[in-house]
Amino acid sequence: MKENSRDIDSELIKKAKKGNHGAFNILMNKYYPRVYASIFSFIKSKEDTEDLSQQTFIKVWQQLDSFRGDSAFFTWVYRIAINLAKNFVTSSGFKKQKINTSIEDTEIDISSFEDIESAIIHNESLEEISFFIDTLPESLKTAFVLREAEGKSYEEIAKITETPIGTVRSRIFRARESIVDFIEKEITNNE
Amino acid sequence: MSDIKEKISAMYDGELDNSEIDELIEVVNNNKDMQKQLSLYSLINVAVNYESSKLSPNIFHKNSFKEIFSNVWLSNGLTAAATVVLTLTFINYSDFSRLNENIDSTNQISSAINSKEAQLIAQKSEEYITDHVMKVLNDPNYMNSSSQIDLRNVGFNLNTKDGYSYIKGKEKFQLRIENKDFGLKKVRYWNHGNKMIYLVPLNNGKVITLYGNISIASALEIAKSLDK
Repeated sequence: MKENSRDIDSELIKKAKKGNHGAFNILMNKYYPRVYASIFSFIKSKEDTEDLSQQTFIKVWQQLDSFRGDSAFFTWVYRIAINLAKNFVTSSGFKKQKINTSIEDTEIDISSFEDIESAIIHNESLEEISFFIDTLPESLKTAFVLREAEGKSYEEIAKITETPIGTVRSRIFRARESIVDFIEKEITNNE
Repeated sequence: MSDIKEKISAMYDGELDNSEIDELIEVVNNNKDMQKQLSLYSLINVAVNYESSKLSPNIFHKNSFKEIFSNVWLSNGLTAAATVVLTLTFINYSDFSRLNENIDSTNQISSAINSKEAQLIAQKSEEYITDHVMKVLNDPNYMNSSSQIDLRNVGFNLNTKDGYSYIKGKEKFQLRIENKDFGLKKVRYWNHGNKMIYLVPLNNGKVITLYGNISIASALEIAKSLDK
């Protein structure tokens, strides 16, 4: 099992710590939907979840130097998100509370993730995506599911499916491309 | 363009050579479509996990936020729950006798935590398990969403009065089966107040979660019966 996932995050974090906003931007794009989904599962308010998600990444950026890599990056980010959500809930008396730190205070470009947020909020969209995954050609679906649901490395998938690693990489990519096409045509355009 | 997208996919999976990262950072940051591509991959991951775990289904329609989290967040339990993931315990499922004799052995647990295998498992599955454990603790419906299982062969009767739980004497717990293994090779367990959470990998690649007042011995006996 390769540990590249952590290695690549570590590499991006190392660069981000040195002020490389591009590296941080990649980390944010990679993890924003998962942070958003995690917070939304607790808060159930689109606006507050959006605020808290953005606030999470501002804090992540501000506290990046304190991340030592003892845990996976997302675990650390997740903890920040949950603590923010917890503080939000306990301090606001469950009423709406605007986040104090403005986005302009940071040098990070917090992009809009409107389409993605909408898909997460509407459970049916997530279910539709799952149903679509089921319709993928068997070879693509197998490689994709082994990676996404089982967390197998490309090397492990190559052994299981008895195919070259390059083929595994290509199949997973093609599966994702099909799913992205589906999302863009069937889900985000219909919001 | 397709080649770049394939590299983004590989990077998302952590399967890209570090030497290729700089090039990709530049490309992605100069192209909004590529950034969106990366986020969509993450959304797909959310959807894949949603299907197996159903993100906290409509909990706010049934209970107030305060009621739901009164035993967890407001008593600082959430922080404990998050922290506990880092202080997890690993034990060998297959070695029952040793387990039962030494279940409280701090040294043994510490040694297990520090083992290379344990570290590897933790890295692989930490994020999924964090999500899973948080849902077990925070969402009262989460443990009720699995199909019922007959555990009378190990002495537990199904109780449907307050959700689905299994009872034998003083032991009472809820059970859930995951169709993925979380990368678990060994049993993991947590203390939460007076309750326990056990994640036990089965031989068929599934993982069972047991939550409630139940001993490790009973948890393993149940897992063993489900493996037959």
